Amino acid sequence: MELLQQNKMFAVSLELNPGANSLPPGVDLLHVRAQGVNDTLHFLLCSQGAPTLLLVHTNSTVSKVQVDWPAFLTRNATGSLKVEPESSIVHSSAMVFTRLWEYDDVNDTADPDSVPRSSFLPPYELQNFTWSDMNRTLDPAAHTATLCGGDGSSSFINGSFCLQLSAFESEGRDRGWPSLLHNANSSQMKVWLSGVSPRANQSRFSLELQAVGGASLMDRVDVVRSIDDEYTPSIFKVSQWVSSPPNQTSTVLSYAQWKPVAYRQPVPVFEDSTPCHHSGPVPVPQRERPAAASGLVRAFYGPEPPAAGINMTFSIAGDPYYSVTKFLSWTMLVGLGTPPVDSFSPLVLSIMAVALGTPMIILLLGGVYVCVRKTVTPLPQVYEPIN
Amino acid sequence: MADIEERQSLLGSEEDDDDIQRDRGPGRPLSAISDPSHLLHRIIVLIFMCFLGFGSYFCYDNPASLQTEVILDMRLTTASFMQLYAWYSWPNVVLCFLGGFLIDRVFGIRLGTIIFSVFVCIGQVIFASGALLNRFWLMEIGRFVFGIGGESLAVAQNTYAVNWFKGKELNLVFGLQLSMARLGSTVNMNIMGWVYSRITDLVGHTGYTTLGVSLMIAGITCLFSLICALVLGFLDKRAEKILNKEQGKTGEVIKLTDVKDFPFPLWLIFIICVGYYVAIFPFIGLGQVFFIEKFNFSPAEARAINSVVYIISAPASPLLGFMVDKTGKNIVWVLCAVVTTLIAHMMLAFTFWNPWIAMSLLGVSYSLLACALWPMVAFVVPEHQLGTAYGFMQSIQNLGLALISMAAGSILDTRGYLFLEVFFCACVCLALIAVVMLYLVDYVRAGDLNLSASARVKLQKEATPDSE
Repeated sequence: MELLQQNKMFAVSLELNPGANSLPPGVDLLHVRAQGVNDTLHFLLCSQGAPTLLLVHTNSTVSKVQVDWPAFLTRNATGSLKVEPESSIVHSSAMVFTRLWEYDDVNDTADPDSVPRSSFLPPYELQNFTWSDMNRTLDPAAHTATLCGGDGSSSFINGSFCLQLSAFESEGRDRGWPSLLHNANSSQMKVWLSGVSPRANQSRFSLELQAVGGASLMDRVDVVRSIDDEYTPSIFKVSQWVSSPPNQTSTVLSYAQWKPVAYRQPVPVFEDSTPCHHSGPVPVPQRERPAAASGLVRAFYGPEPPAAGINMTFSIAGDPYYSVTKFLSWTMLVGLGTPPVDSFSPLVLSIMAVALGTPMIILLLGGVYVCVRKTVTPLPQVYEPIN
Repeated sequence: MADIEERQSLLGSEEDDDDIQRDRGPGRPLSAISDPSHLLHRIIVLIFMCFLGFGSYFCYDNPASLQTEVILDMRLTTASFMQLYAWYSWPNVVLCFLGGFLIDRVFGIRLGTIIFSVFVCIGQVIFASGALLNRFWLMEIGRFVFGIGGESLAVAQNTYAVNWFKGKELNLVFGLQLSMARLGSTVNMNIMGWVYSRITDLVGHTGYTTLGVSLMIAGITCLFSLICALVLGFLDKRAEKILNKEQGKTGEVIKLTDVKDFPFPLWLIFIICVGYYVAIFPFIGLGQVFFIEKFNFSPAEARAINSVVYIISAPASPLLGFMVDKTGKNIVWVLCAVVTTLIAHMMLAFTFWNPWIAMSLLGVSYSLLACALWPMVAFVVPEHQLGTAYGFMQSIQNLGLALISMAAGSILDTRGYLFLEVFFCACVCLALIAVVMLYLVDYVRAGDLNLSASARVKLQKEATPDSE
C-alpha cells in the first residue's frame, strides 16, 4: 500500500507469532504494524494469560518486535518481548481484560456498588480461559483478528466470550452500531458475550479492565457531551479514559474511548441498546497487579508496573436481564495521541442549509421584486382641474 | 323532585296544542338553575360541554405519556409505536368531510354526540384489551375506533357551543373548551406514569398486564365523557321543548367540487397548517424519551416538560386570540409563530440549553398560530365554501400527521434524535416558506389577509352599505 502523508494513510500489516517456530497451543501473539512516513505504531494482542492489547509508538520507520520465545513462555522474564530500537519508543500503553463479574441483581438496581456481596457470583478470571486459535480467525485484508474462549465450565458449553481487534489505515466508521469514528492512530476492540449461560435468574455482567501506562498512568475518565447522536441513536455522551503528561491535562498521550452503550443483539435495533456506566479509574492494589495475570505485560513492562483499573457495568435499572437475549456486546477504541472527535454528517448539514436558506432567498428575492415594482410603477396622479 | 314537576308541565303543554304559545318560555316560573334561557343553567350546560371532550383528549396522548412502558411491555420498535398515532389520524382524513353531514342530516346533534362518545369509549377499551391480551394489532384497531369518535366529537362539541352561546359569548366558550381539552392532555401526561407505577406495585411486575390495567383506568375518563354526552342530550332535548327551538346544526355544507375553486393563498395556508402541526404533535409523542436521554431528566420530569406545551396553551390561547382580534395583521402573527417554533426546535437540536425555555416558546407559538391561522381561511374563501375549506384543511392535517408519525418513528429507529429534530426543522421551514410566499402574494395582489383590525372593520362596513 502507498504511504500518503497528506491523507494520513498508514500501511498496515499483520503478523502472527513473529519469530516463533512452534508454539504450544492456546498461546498466540498478534503483531499489527502500522507504518507512517516517519513513525510506526505497533499493536500487539496476546492471549497468554489475560487478553492484552499493547500499543507502542516509535519514531522510527524500521522498528520491529523481538520476542525471546522460550523466556516469553515462562512468563517470568522481563524484556522477553522488546521493540527494537528501544530508544525510539515514544510512548506505550497496555489494556488488559482481567475479569468478567456476574451478579444476581435481585433488586433491579444494576449498580454493583449497592448490590450485597453475597449476590456476586465467583468472577470469571480471563487469565484462566482457553482461547481459540487466532490463525483461523485472522483476516489480513480487513485487518481484524478474533479471540474466543471460555473457562470450560458448564456456562460456556454453548457460548463464548470473544474479543475482536481491528486496525485501520485511515479515518472511517464501522457500519454496525456504535459506529465509532476511528482513525489510523486507533485500534478498535469489540468484546461480546454470546450464548453463555447465566448462573442466576437475574444476572447482570460487569467487565474489569486495567490500563498499564509507560510514563503516565491513565488516571481519569472524561465524559464529553455531544449533540450528535446520528451514529449511535439516543447516546449523547462519549467517555474517554486518558493519560496526560504531568501538569498538562489538555494533552492526551493515550486513550480508550467508548460510547456508554452496549447492545443486546448481534444486529441491534434501537430498542436493543442498553446504557452502561463505568466506575473508577482507581489505582490497582498490589496483589492484583496485571503483570501476574498477563504474560505480555510481564514481558514488556516487568513485574510491578503501576496500573489503573475501571469496571464497566452493563445495563441500568429496569432494562431486561442478560438471560433475555443471552447476548451482550460493547466496543471501544484504544489508541495513542488525541482521541477522534465526531462531527455532523454531510446529510444533516445540507438539509439545514437548504431548509434555512430557501426562505431567506425567497424573502430576499421577494423584497427586491417589491422594491423594483414600487420604483417602476408610477404613483397615481392627482386630478388636475380641467381648464 | 323539581324535574318531575317540570316534566309533567311539559307533557301538559304537549297535549294541548293551543296552549303551546302560552307556555313558551317560563310559563310557570322555573327556578334559575332549570330555566334553559337563564345564565345559571347555561353555565351548567357549559360545564358538561367542556368535560365532554376531556376524556378523548386525555386518552389521545396515552401512548406519549407511557412511551417507554408501551415500547418495553409490547416489545415494539419506535416505528410501530408511532403507528398508534397514525391509526388515530387515518379515519379523520375522510371523517372531517363527513362529520358535519352526519351531525346535520343523519343523527342529529344529540344522538350524534352520544354515538361518537360511545366510539371513543369502545375504542379505548379495545386499546386497553389489546394490551391485556398482548396483541398489538388489537391496540391499533382500538386507536382506529377511538379516532373515529375523537375528532367528530370535537365537531359536535363546537356545534353545541354555537347552539347555546351564539353571540358575544361564543369566543369565550370556544376558548374555554380548548382550555379544557389542553387540561385533559396535561393531566394525562403527568398522571399516567404515577398510575402505571401504582399498578406495578399491585400486580407485582411490569408487563402487558400492567399496561392494560393502566389503560383501562384511563378509559374511565371516556366513560365520564359519555355520561356528559347523555346529560347534554337530555338537557338539550328539554331546552328544545321549553324554548321551542330547533335542534342545533353544524351549518356546514360540504361540496367537494368547490376544491377546484380554492384560491392560491388558501393552498399556502394548507401548507402552513400541515408543515407546522407535523412538527408539534409527533414531537410530543416522542418527547419523553428525548428529554430522558439527551438532557438526563427523570421520567417524571420528562413527562412534565412534555406537557408544558399544553399547560401554556390553556391560558395563552384565549389571551392571544384576544390580541390577534384586536390588532389584526394575521400573517405577521403567523410568521412570528413559525419563526419562534423554528428557533425552539433548533435550540432542542443543537444545544444543551435548558429545554424548559424551548418548550415554553413552543407552547406560546403553538397557541399563537392556532389563533391567527384558522381565521384566515374565512378571509380568503366565501362563506358558502367555508365548510369545505375547513374540512379539507382538517383532512390534510390528519393525513400529514398520519404519514409523518410513521416517518418520525422510523427516523428515530435508524438515525437518532438529532436527525429527527433536523427533520422537524425542515418541516417548519416548509411552513416558513409558505408564510413568506403568502405575505408576498398578498402584498402584491393588495389582498386583505394582513389588514389591521380597524382596516378590516372599515372594509366590512363598506361591503354592506345597505345595512343602515
